[in-house]
Amino acid sequence: MGHPENFGYGVSRSRQEEHRRPKATSGVTKCALILLVSAVRVWSATDPRAASEAEAALALAHEGKYEQAIPHYRAALRLDANLPGLHLNLGLAYFKLNRIADAVPLFEQAVKKDPDSFQAHVLLGMSYYAIRRFDAAAAQLKKAADQQPDNTELRFKLAQSYLWSQQYEAAKREFQFLLTKDPDSAPVHMLLGEVLDAAGQEEQATAQFEAAVKSSTHEPEAHFGLGYLYWKQKRYEDAQRELTAELADQPEHTQALTYLADAELQTGNEKPAEERLRRALKLDPNLRLAHLDLGIILASHHDSAQAQAHFREAIRIDPGNPDAHYRLARLLLAMGREQEANVEFAQVKQLAQRPEPSPLIKVPRLDGDAPR
Amino acid sequence: MKRWLLLLPVLVWLVWAQSGPSPIRFEFRPIDFRLESSETPQRHAPETMAGGVAIFDYNHDGNLDIFFTNGADIGTLQKSSPKYSNRLFENDGKGNFQDVTAKAGLAGTGFDMGVAVGDYDNDGNEDLFVAGVHGNHLYHNNGDGTFTDATTKAGLNKADAQYGPLWSVGGAWVDVNNDGLLDLFVVNYLAWDIKTEQPCESGPGTFDYCHPRFYKPTPNQLFLNNGDGTFRDVSAESGIRAHPGKGMGVGVADFDLDGLPDIFVTNDKIYNSYFHNKGGGKFEEMAFEAGVALTENGQFISGMGVDARDLDNDGYPDLAFVALDKETFPLFRNTGKGGFAEVTQSSGMTRLSTPMAGYSPTIADFDNDGWKDLFVTRGHVESLGYASHAQVEQPNTVFRNLGGMKFQALTAEAGLTAQPPRRHRGSSVGDLNHDGRLDVVVTAISAPAEIWINDSPGNNHWIEFALEGTKSNRDGIGARIKVLAGGKAQYDQVSFAAGYASSSAGPVHFGLGANASAELVEIRWPSGIVQEFKNVTADQVLKVKEPK
Repeated sequence: MGHPENFGYGVSRSRQEEHRRPKATSGVTKCALILLVSAVRVWSATDPRAASEAEAALALAHEGKYEQAIPHYRAALRLDANLPGLHLNLGLAYFKLNRIADAVPLFEQAVKKDPDSFQAHVLLGMSYYAIRRFDAAAAQLKKAADQQPDNTELRFKLAQSYLWSQQYEAAKREFQFLLTKDPDSAPVHMLLGEVLDAAGQEEQATAQFEAAVKSSTHEPEAHFGLGYLYWKQKRYEDAQRELTAELADQPEHTQALTYLADAELQTGNEKPAEERLRRALKLDPNLRLAHLDLGIILASHHDSAQAQAHFREAIRIDPGNPDAHYRLARLLLAMGREQEANVEFAQVKQLAQRPEPSPLIKVPRLDGDAPR
Repeated sequence: MKRWLLLLPVLVWLVWAQSGPSPIRFEFRPIDFRLESSETPQRHAPETMAGGVAIFDYNHDGNLDIFFTNGADIGTLQKSSPKYSNRLFENDGKGNFQDVTAKAGLAGTGFDMGVAVGDYDNDGNEDLFVAGVHGNHLYHNNGDGTFTDATTKAGLNKADAQYGPLWSVGGAWVDVNNDGLLDLFVVNYLAWDIKTEQPCESGPGTFDYCHPRFYKPTPNQLFLNNGDGTFRDVSAESGIRAHPGKGMGVGVADFDLDGLPDIFVTNDKIYNSYFHNKGGGKFEEMAFEAGVALTENGQFISGMGVDARDLDNDGYPDLAFVALDKETFPLFRNTGKGGFAEVTQSSGMTRLSTPMAGYSPTIADFDNDGWKDLFVTRGHVESLGYASHAQVEQPNTVFRNLGGMKFQALTAEAGLTAQPPRRHRGSSVGDLNHDGRLDVVVTAISAPAEIWINDSPGNNHWIEFALEGTKSNRDGIGARIKVLAGGKAQYDQVSFAAGYASSSAGPVHFGLGANASAELVEIRWPSGIVQEFKNVTADQVLKVKEPK
């Protein structure tokens, strides 16, 4: 009846990931400290004027006055571009000001000048992560983690970078390592669950979310993630239980409301489903699945006009999804509007030809034949 | 208190249904056949699609025999080794099967996929249509234990002018114009050519079978029987050709009871086709209008094999087809008003089948309780290398019909885990040992075939009908049989097409439950002739000849 919504937990992970930090503190050291400190004194002066500008910048940075520090760093850079640590500190100032795009080339320079610098790799990795270049972030953070293999916070960020850059095997290894340090970390269980789900290992993913819920029953999104997985496996009764638990903590969780309503609809509980769908749509009128399901309910009540309106809303939100077109077409057919129905059926047929995600990657032949 | 008393029988029944001894049980019997589909590391599409099987009585001795199609070298599409031979096994009626392939002349030459049994020349001997990759074969049964390749004579050897050689996965014999001659509907899968096929990478340096979207659809074909051993391709003029698809299964039945057989084709990852027979040799494709193009949620699923029979005993043939894991095994109830309603969720099938991948569904009453059940061969389309992503090898499952369109899944309970899980493919149903219980023969990729002898408990009665048409086609394909026993009616329509790439050509079987006789048997022949029998004793195979 429904199908995985665009706003599923997997897609909204960028918002959720901020909730997910490992409880483990052993070895959580320098990478966090780097972000807490304002500047790092690493230079030795060759040009006294450059050193003076750098010292002034450093003093301002220590006071948190990064905007003011930047011109001094820039001046020092003009006087002596080879002053050690200057790129790193200027980058850090930009980083602190959340001007990541400006920070990145400076950290790249810092890494180039000192390929063994733990701090440079961490900061560049964190910057890449911030601008969602997860594959590049993973490469930098891996180099840092090689230097500090017991730094769990660093490994956590590295694992996340692997996850978001779809390097699932590597992500799995990292999260499994983190679980050896803290077997009860709900966020790590959840993220490992995401990795496994993305790799198509749904049962193992479910087991991880179940472990997360067991570790921390009020962990934000844990019940939702588990409920969503149950829903995806069409285990609607289990899904209802978990989504209800999420809503107890977050009553306005629109995704939980929608999936719970869909699970209720699938098991024949139309009335509570309808109420939840209306509530979800009040909170967010752009919930495709909520419109679709409400349309289905209204169509079954012979409220064709309203059903049609909801199906059309679902199509507006995602025109590339065939289900609302199909539902609308069948409704129009039942209403005797054959021509309009045929237009929608034609849409469905057209959508049948569209590419769809597949775990298999199409690769060209080695003999150079062009892909079809 | 009274309310509790009323509920009690229901509760007792539920407890029995869920935890009692399995009412359907099978016992494994080996047979010396192994499906060889030439699996290569490049994973060419046909390698995972082989495995048609037929149960039919090839020599009129009253025992049901078994025919297996087999693969070939994938590079040449030739049976370059004896291991690729198709095989015919003669049943001695005592559970022994003797390989008679060589004598019969049925070893074959190409990469064969499916089989359709039908007496196309009405001579009383069942002939075989063998569907294959870029080459089909028609084997005429000479009646002396041998077959003659009649493909060229029949005109079934021509490549398609537009699409080139086609990849056929199966077929169905059906008298589309009720002229007493069986016509041939051929199910074609997709456009495939090893020279241009591009591999699909499943991981660094490893490949698996590509998603169907990487291949173009092809049209199905309809060949009209001229009555002289030749056929005329009427695919275009009948309206069939205008609707290319990626056909996997064919279900034939007169869905709207207008006296003309209709044809339903499952397609892989695109919408299904429903060819409504308008008469005069014309079909209209109306899958969307009838509500069977897609599952009701509008998703394109991996439609595999199909069977079309009456599951709820209302007289209208329903549809059951299968798909891959997470897609469910959809059930469509015929509303009797020209359309279908999907009952996958309400029947319990969504919950039961979501983790399963299926290939061949066959509808038959395995416990003789008067409700037709559903046997599904299971296994994933991908290779064993895909096992980290999905359960590739699976056991078979029988879904017991609890009545009222509710089902119960029986796997280990039914003894079906007595063999290791495999990538099962085709299946065929028939009573191999004359005990009144329907047995099943199943194939599996790169694995031995399995015979599942039905040893279900209980003493339910049964009756079978072996029809012989005179005015209608000799097999009686298309005849509609109604059996009234214990005041309850059941229906079936004669069609040998069932499941994936397979054919079940034994007598038509009905379970009668506790009834030792049927009050009424009514047979409506395709010719329009109606025959009635009253108070028919159970537990026999009734031979019925159409009155002239």
